[in-house]
Amino acid sequence: MTTASLTPSPTPTAADTSPTPVPRGTHRSVLRLHRTTLWAALALTVLALAVTGYLRLAHEGRPGLIRLLGLSNADDLLHTYLQRGSVALLFVPLAVAAFTAGPLVARELEAGLHKFAWTQGDSPARWLGARLTVAAVLAVAAGLAVLAVFWVGGSGLVHAVGDSLYLGWSDGPVYAATGPVAVAYCLLAAAVGALAGLLVRRTLLAMSAAGAVTGAVLWLLSSVRWDLFPVRTATGSSARERANWFPGDVPADNYVMDQGVTNAAGERFAPGQCLPDHPAPSCPADTRVVEAWADFHPRSHFWYVQLIETGIVLALAAAAVYAGFWLLRRRTP
Amino acid sequence: MTDTAMEAADLTLAYGRRRAPALRGCSFRLAAGRVCAVVGPNGAGKSTLLALAAGLLRPTSGRLAVLGGSPADVRTRIAYVAQDKPLYPQLTIAETLRLGAELNPGRWDAALAARVVADGELDPGARVRSLSGGQRTRVALALALGKRAELLLLDEPMADLDPLARHQLMGTLMAEAAEHGTTVVMSSHIVGELADTCDHLLLVSGGRVRLGGGIDDLVNAHALITGARPLTDLAAHTVVESHATGRGLTALVRPDGPLRLDSGWDVEEPSLEELLLAHLRSPDAPPLLTPGANPADRTAVTA
Repeated sequence: MTTASLTPSPTPTAADTSPTPVPRGTHRSVLRLHRTTLWAALALTVLALAVTGYLRLAHEGRPGLIRLLGLSNADDLLHTYLQRGSVALLFVPLAVAAFTAGPLVARELEAGLHKFAWTQGDSPARWLGARLTVAAVLAVAAGLAVLAVFWVGGSGLVHAVGDSLYLGWSDGPVYAATGPVAVAYCLLAAAVGALAGLLVRRTLLAMSAAGAVTGAVLWLLSSVRWDLFPVRTATGSSARERANWFPGDVPADNYVMDQGVTNAAGERFAPGQCLPDHPAPSCPADTRVVEAWADFHPRSHFWYVQLIETGIVLALAAAAVYAGFWLLRRRTP
Repeated sequence: MTDTAMEAADLTLAYGRRRAPALRGCSFRLAAGRVCAVVGPNGAGKSTLLALAAGLLRPTSGRLAVLGGSPADVRTRIAYVAQDKPLYPQLTIAETLRLGAELNPGRWDAALAARVVADGELDPGARVRSLSGGQRTRVALALALGKRAELLLLDEPMADLDPLARHQLMGTLMAEAAEHGTTVVMSSHIVGELADTCDHLLLVSGGRVRLGGGIDDLVNAHALITGARPLTDLAAHTVVESHATGRGLTALVRPDGPLRLDSGWDVEEPSLEELLLAHLRSPDAPPLLTPGANPADRTAVTA
C-alpha cells in the first residue's frame, strides 16, 4: 500500500499542454516490420528486369547470349516470354492485395498486435493510415515495376506489324502492362486489401478475399473496358469489300469489336450464318450484301480507355479506403 | 488534471447482438493515484473493462471517462498491457523498445524501459519470437512503463512470471507509480497477488461491479460472524453469505447499523479473500460501492 496516501502529481511531460505530434515512427515502424517482404519484392523486381533485359538484348541482335544457354531462337523466346510474362504481371495487383490484407492489417488484428499499437501512441486511424500509406507507396512502386519490366521487354514491339513478335496493344495483359491502369489496379489492390483485412480479421481468409475481389474487378473491367468508349464504324460497299465482308478503310493497328454486312434495308447481319440454304433464325429475309461494316477501336482509343478505366479503378479504391476508415471509426471510440 | 482516473456510468458492452453482454450497466469511480485491483472469476468482464478504458473497444451503451476525457482522447496518457502481451515477434527487444520511443515522442523514458529489460537479464538483440511467456511480459511492461503514462492498465500482468520476477517487477512498478503518482489498474484472479500491493478494489463478476472502493473500507464494511444462534438474529443487516459450520453458523454480514448482538455471536473482521469468495459465491448479494467509488455520491457532493 505504498501509494495509498499519495496525491497524484502531474507527470513531467508536455502532453498536457502541447498537442501530440504525429509520430514519424509510425511509418518507419511499418517499414521495419515488413522489411523482409519489401526487400524480397525489390529483389524480385531487379531479377525480373535483369532477365527481361537479357532476353531483349539477345533479341536485339546478340543471339549469342541465348546460344550460351543452349537455346536456339531469341525471337521465339522473347515472344513466349512476353506473352506469358504479361499474363503473369496481372498477378502483381493480386500480390499487393494479399500482402496488404494479410501481413499488413489482418495479422495484426488476429494476433492482437493492434492492441499494442493503439495503446503505444498510435490512434486507430493513424495506425490504418500508416499501413495504407505504406501499401499505397508499395502499390505505386509495384505498378511502375510492371510498366518498367514490360517496357524493357516489349517497348517498340507492341503491335509492330511485320515483326515476328506480335503483341496486340488491345490484348488484355499487354494493355494492362502498358498504361496507367497498371498503377491504378495496384492501388485498388492496396485499398481492397486493407478493407478486407479490417473486415475479415483472419490472415489467410483476408488474403484470399482481397485477392479474389481484386481479381474479380480486374476480370470484370477487362471484359467491359472496350465498351467504355464509343467505337468507330467503317463501311465499304465496293465489290471487294462486299466479297470480303470487311470494309477497306480500317487502319492496320485496329482492334475490331464486331464486323458484318448490311442489306438494302440497312439491317446488320453476319453473312457466314445466313447462307441461302440454312439461314439462322436471326437472319433478315433479305440477305443480299449491300455494304460491309466494322466496329473498331483505332489505336488512338488506347489512351481514352486507359484513362477512363484508371478513373473507375481509382474511384473504387477511394471508396474502399473510405469504407475502411468508416469501419474502424465505428468499432473504436 | 482531474482527480478522477476512471469513471463509468451505466457502462455496457456486448460483443455481438446475440451474445450476452460482457459488461452490463457498470457504474463506478476510481480516484487518481490509486492502485486498483480488478478481480473476478474467469470471463467476468475484467479484460473487457480494461480494453474499454484503453480505447480499444467502443461501449455498446453508457459512458466511460478516463483521466477526465474519452479514452480515445487520452491515448497518449494511458499505457496498457493486454493479457496475451502482444508484441511484434519479428522484432528484437532493442527494436521493440525503439518502436516505443518512436511511437511516444516527447514522453518516452528510455532509461527506465532499458532498466526493466536489463533487470531480467534479457539480451536486447534477442527476437521477441524467441522469448518465453514471462520474458515477453517483462518486455511488455518495460514498454508500458517507458511510456510514462498517467494511467497504467495491466491485464493479468503477473500471471506467467516466476515468483522472483513477479516480486521484483511489482516492486519496480509500485516504485514508479509512487514516484509519479501514476494510477494503476490491474486485473487478476489471484487475490494474494494483489492484497499487499493494491489499495483499491473492483470486484467484477457476471459483467457487473459487485464491490468497489478502498480495500480497507470494504473490509471494514463487513463482519464475519460465527455463533450457534438462528440466522433471524441478523435480519436487520445484509447477510452476504451464510453457511452451517460445526458449532452453528458462519455468516458474512454487511452491518446496516451498529451490530448489537447477543452473547452467542462471535464477530471478526473478514480477510480480503473471505470477503471476495463470499461475494463470488453469492451472486444475489447487493453490490456495494464505498462513497468514494460511487459516481452517484460524487455528483451529489459536487451538486
